[in-house]
Amino acid sequence: MTRTAQEASLNADGADGGTGYRGWFSPLAGLLLATALLLVPFLSPSEYLLALGVSFAMFSVLSSGLNLVYGYAGLLSFAQVGFFGIGAYTAALLVVERGWSLWTGAVAGGVLAAAAGFAIGYASLRLSRHAFAIVSLCFALLCMIVARDWVSLTRGAMGIPGLPTPELSLPGGLRWRVVRPADFYYLIVGFAIAAQLLIYLVMSSRLGRAMRAIKLNEPLAQSQGINPLAYKLLAIVLSAVLAGMVGGLFVFYLSIVDPSVFDFYYTETMLIMVIIGGPGSFWGVLGSTAVLAALPDLLRFTTDLRMVLYGLVLIAVMLLFPGGIGGWLQRRRLARWRRPKPGRAAAGTLDAGGPR
Amino acid sequence: MDLSFILQLLLGGLVIGVIYALVAMGLSLIFGVLEIVNFAHGEFYMLGAMAAFFLSSGTSLGYWPTILLVTLGAACVGYVLYEALLGSLQGEGFERSILLTLGLSMVLQNGAVYLFTTTPRMISNSLTYSTVTIGGLRISEPRLYALGLGLAAFAALFVVLHRTRMGKAMRGVAQNREAALMVGIDPRAVARLAVVIGIGLSGLAGAALAPVYAVHPVMGFAFVFKAFAIIIIGGLGNVSGAAFTAIALGLIESLIGGFLPLVMVDALAFVGMIVILLFKPHGLFGRGVRV
Repeated sequence: MTRTAQEASLNADGADGGTGYRGWFSPLAGLLLATALLLVPFLSPSEYLLALGVSFAMFSVLSSGLNLVYGYAGLLSFAQVGFFGIGAYTAALLVVERGWSLWTGAVAGGVLAAAAGFAIGYASLRLSRHAFAIVSLCFALLCMIVARDWVSLTRGAMGIPGLPTPELSLPGGLRWRVVRPADFYYLIVGFAIAAQLLIYLVMSSRLGRAMRAIKLNEPLAQSQGINPLAYKLLAIVLSAVLAGMVGGLFVFYLSIVDPSVFDFYYTETMLIMVIIGGPGSFWGVLGSTAVLAALPDLLRFTTDLRMVLYGLVLIAVMLLFPGGIGGWLQRRRLARWRRPKPGRAAAGTLDAGGPR
Repeated sequence: MDLSFILQLLLGGLVIGVIYALVAMGLSLIFGVLEIVNFAHGEFYMLGAMAAFFLSSGTSLGYWPTILLVTLGAACVGYVLYEALLGSLQGEGFERSILLTLGLSMVLQNGAVYLFTTTPRMISNSLTYSTVTIGGLRISEPRLYALGLGLAAFAALFVVLHRTRMGKAMRGVAQNREAALMVGIDPRAVARLAVVIGIGLSGLAGAALAPVYAVHPVMGFAFVFKAFAIIIIGGLGNVSGAAFTAIALGLIESLIGGFLPLVMVDALAFVGMIVILLFKPHGLFGRGVRV
């Protein structure tokens, strides 16, 4: 998509952050989707379906966070998996060694991930967004090396198996033992819905519009009094908190944490989700996350073949549709807006030969 | 401490450092001229090593013809890579180049895992176990050759960049693209040559290392990230900075590995990179293609 088309779209649908077509679409779709997701355990007792749902919810937090950082603030980040793993290790260690509850453990994981995100963002963004991409990559690799080699803290490559079943205190003095698959489903899907709501609110507010402005034209945004560094750091820190917290919750579902939570596989998968869905498109990324979280599993591909396929898809999308599905939909919408209105047909035919 | 032990460690580190340098110089050259970060760079190193393994175990080709063949093959792959993928990116987005080459890396690496499995393979022939003794130091012949090849490639790159018109054009494009265009330099020809040289060096590194270490499909993956750290520490696009950093890293890693328990040696390059970015953001040797 050309820059002018992007700028036009920023002006055209800036009110809802470019995430939905009309004002009512996004709230209604979100409400329906959330209700449908929460009803799944009542309608079907299939544990396989619940596992797919958990995988979708977990990846949706990671990919929407990456969408905020890359699609909005314009920073290509490989650090999400590092935040995810930091949250996972922090929560697991605090619960196992210090006896903290899962809530506080997961929050601590999110806070630590946010601190790490702030540190690498602040250090590298002084240089350029290119430096940020490479530093974020090295940060993720460093996290894996630390988890593997700092044996006295993380117990090394063996990880921490047999995490206890979490017991959560709910408001009103109730205790909730998270044991059944449906319990974990509610825990992680519930968190994902809250996280998506937060991300949507940020994207469709002034904050999101400022981030998009920085992505499209940083000097221009700066001349309007927007401080690019603050908004970029906000995007990184917010995505880090959410990734860290979902990491903390997810390892209790797995009941083991080991250095493979930092696997580059997660990075590649969430990048593909964002790229296919369309960076900057909230619903596009959510849709591609749903498809990619379920499809390879349903088709029973081996991991190697799946990654070869993902790689080919990534190359094809980058060469043919750099905007992903969201970008394609938006281009179609702009083309429809530019079509002459029936009442002004004469003017429209004159315009038809003009520059597009 | 035994002096010959230290010298032995230094020699081993030098060999590793020269191999790092071959990969990092190509990466740095491609970045300097095309402003593309080639994520798939390590996969060409892996493919070079795999090709060398299959040539030397499947055919009766000797050591030197294998090296020559693999290097030429890698250079041809570089030509195809530029014409098919990278050429269309010219001046069009750092992120797009990363994602495109990341996709390529995923295809090559996982394709190799699918075809050859992750089992490490070792070239074993008469050369593998023969050693040379120089002044009390024992070094295996393949290591000595790898060292020699690396130094020869470094010298050749120096001559190309400084003494030929094409090399000067390459440095010109890296320093100022518009000015180079105005004096009549064809940026496509220059970029193509940079990719051909970069991928060729990567294939050479793989072929030279194949008789020294085990060969497996994920070897390039771990390697390329270290090469990123090296080119940032050395200054992005600075070819000789990358070479010096690579050799220093090889020596330091080898010394640490020899004296301290082997913990987090791999982290050294990444920690070093983050520290350098904090205090000297343009790297130790500054930006720009220089040799």
